[in-house]
Amino acid sequence: MRILFFAQLKDVTGCDVIELAVSSPLTGEQFWKILIEKFPALANHQKNVRLARNWEYAGGETQFTNADEVALIPPVSGG
Amino acid sequence: MEIEIQLTNEPIGEKISPPSAAGGCGAWVEFHGVVRGEENGEKISALEYEAYPEMATREIRRLLEEISSKNPCLVAKVIHRLGTIPVGETAIYVGVAAKHRGEAIALLAEFMDCLKQDVPIWKRRALPAVSANVNLRTSGSGQSADSHRRLQKVLTLDDAISEIESRCQPLPAVRVPLAEAFGRVLRETVSAPEDFPDHDRSTRDGFAILNDDASEHFQIVDTLHAADWKPRDLKTGQAVRIATGAPLPCGNLRVVMQENAERDGDRIKILRRESGLNIRRRGEDVKAGAPLVKAGARLDAGKQALLATAGCAQPLVSPRLRVCHLTTGDEIVPPDQAPKPGQIRDSNSILIRGLMQSFPCDLEQHHLPENFEAARQLVSTLNLQPSTFNLLLVSGGASVGEKDFTRALLEWLGFEIIISQVNLRPGRPLIFGLKGTRVAFGLPGNPLSHFVCFHLFVAGALAKLTGHAASKYLRGKLADKLEDAPCPRETLWPARLEFLNGELRLRPLKWSSSGDVTCLVETNALIRVPVNQGSLAADATVDILPTAGMLDTGN
Repeated sequence: MRILFFAQLKDVTGCDVIELAVSSPLTGEQFWKILIEKFPALANHQKNVRLARNWEYAGGETQFTNADEVALIPPVSGG
Repeated sequence: MEIEIQLTNEPIGEKISPPSAAGGCGAWVEFHGVVRGEENGEKISALEYEAYPEMATREIRRLLEEISSKNPCLVAKVIHRLGTIPVGETAIYVGVAAKHRGEAIALLAEFMDCLKQDVPIWKRRALPAVSANVNLRTSGSGQSADSHRRLQKVLTLDDAISEIESRCQPLPAVRVPLAEAFGRVLRETVSAPEDFPDHDRSTRDGFAILNDDASEHFQIVDTLHAADWKPRDLKTGQAVRIATGAPLPCGNLRVVMQENAERDGDRIKILRRESGLNIRRRGEDVKAGAPLVKAGARLDAGKQALLATAGCAQPLVSPRLRVCHLTTGDEIVPPDQAPKPGQIRDSNSILIRGLMQSFPCDLEQHHLPENFEAARQLVSTLNLQPSTFNLLLVSGGASVGEKDFTRALLEWLGFEIIISQVNLRPGRPLIFGLKGTRVAFGLPGNPLSHFVCFHLFVAGALAKLTGHAASKYLRGKLADKLEDAPCPRETLWPARLEFLNGELRLRPLKWSSSGDVTCLVETNALIRVPVNQGSLAADATVDILPTAGMLDTGN
C-alpha cells in the first residue's frame, strides 16, 4: 500500500510517502501498530489523526490492503 | 447543482463572473477568505497552504452535495489557493448561485464551517514578518526564551558535535538494486546464506585421486570443469581430471598439479605428490550464518561484491539524500568570470559539490542575492518540501554583519536554530538548524572554514542521517613542529598525512588565517589543537581527523 503523510506529519516522519507491503488486509489498529513501529514519533499524534483510504475517511471497520492509498490526515486548517 | 472545484498555486483573480441569470438564478453570493497579517499574535508576511488534492476535491464535492440537499442551490464554485499566499491575498473563494439569497447564504456559511473540519487542506505554517536589517537577536516565530539563551552561547567543539549527533536521526531505510547501492550505508547486517565455498573445491588444474592411494599409474575416469557438480566415488588407481575451482566429487581426496603428472591418453603417471592437498574446504572462507557485511557499513566495491556473492540483490540501505546548497554574497562571481575589484570567484560551490561526492545525493545549487527580501523571494520559488530535500547548506552569511541573513532565512523557512556559534578556528560562526528531520547548516564563507566545518559537522550529521558508524579521531604523532600562538579557540589545523620512507607521517601545513586557501592543495587531515595550546613540538601526540577517503576510519 501507498501511505501518504501531510502537514506536520511530514516533519515527524521525514517523508511524505512510503510504500508498505502487507501479507493480509489490516484493521486500523493493526495499521497504526505497524506504522508506529516504523515511526515511533507518530504515537503522539495518533489520537488527533484520521485515516483515509482511497480518498475517503476510513470508518472503524475499514480494512487496508496492498492496493490501497492510505493517508494520515492531521487536523485540517484550510480556508 | 452544478459544481466547480479548483485547487491552484496561482493567485485567485478579483473578478469571477457570476452564472447567467437565464437559468433562474436570483442571487450570486461570493466569499473571499484572505490571509490575515497576524497569526497567534505574531505579525506574519504570508501563510503556506498544503492539500491532499485528490481527497480535498472529493470532500468539497461531497460537502456541497450534502448541504445543497437541505439548501437547494444552482451553482457552487470553490477555488482554494495552495503554496505561499502573502498577507491580504485570497486563500479561498466560494461563489454560490441560487434562486433566492437565503439558500445561497445558508449553503455558503455551512460549507465554510464544514470545510474547516473535514477537507484535507492545511495551513502549513506562518512566515514571520522579518525586516531586511536583521541581526543575531532577530526572533523567528515560536522561538522560546530558552532557545534564545542557547543561541547567545558559544559552544565548545565537543558540545556542538554531540548536540548535532544527538539531534539527527537515521532516515528510513530503503531497498535498492545492488547496482545502485554504491556509497549507501547498509542498514541491516547481511549474513552468509550458505558456507563459502559451498563445496570442497580444487585450487589447482590437475588430477584428483584418493588421498591415501600410493599408486603410480592412474586411469582417468572423469573430467570436471569449474561449474561441474558430479559426485562420485573413486577407487584405488582412479583419477579425475579437475579444473581450478571445480567441486571435488567425493571426500578423502587430494589434487595433484598437472605439472606433476604425465598424461598418456586416459592414463596418467604421477611424478610427484605435493605436500599440500590443493583443496579449499567447504566453509573455509565463511560459515553459513556468519555476518558478511555489518549494518552501518558504507558500501564500496568490495562490500558490494560480497553482497552479490551472498545473493543480496536488493540491500536495505540509507536513502539517496536530497541536498540543497545556497551560496550568498554579492562579492562572489562564477569561476569563469573575472572578478571586479573587491570580488572573488566562487570556490565554495565546487568545494561542496566535491565533498558531497562521498554521499550518494541529488544536489541542487543556487546563488542568493545579497538583499534579504530578494533572497527570500528566490528561496520561496525553490521547492523546499520534506519530500524534496534532507539537507540544506547555506554558504556565507553566517556572521552577524548586516548582510549576514542566513539565520533569519533559516528561521523564515521554519528551522529551529540549535547552534549559532562554536568556539572553533576556523569556523566560529557555524549555524545548525533543524526542522523535523531536515537539517540545515550555515557555513562560514571562506573555503577553509567550509572544508573544516564540513568534515567536523556536516559529515557527522550525514553519518547520523544515513546510519553510518561515524569516523573518529585518530591518534598520531607530529612529524614537524606546529608553530602557533596560544589561541582561545580550539583549532583544526590543516595537515598532510603521508608515507615517507615507509612510515606514516603527519605534517602540519603552513597556515595563518581562515582566508588562506593554498593549503587546501595538500590537506588530507586536520589536527586538533586544544584551547590556548600554542605551538606543538615535533613528536607531540595529537588527535587527527582524516579528510581523505584513503584514510577513512569508518567501517
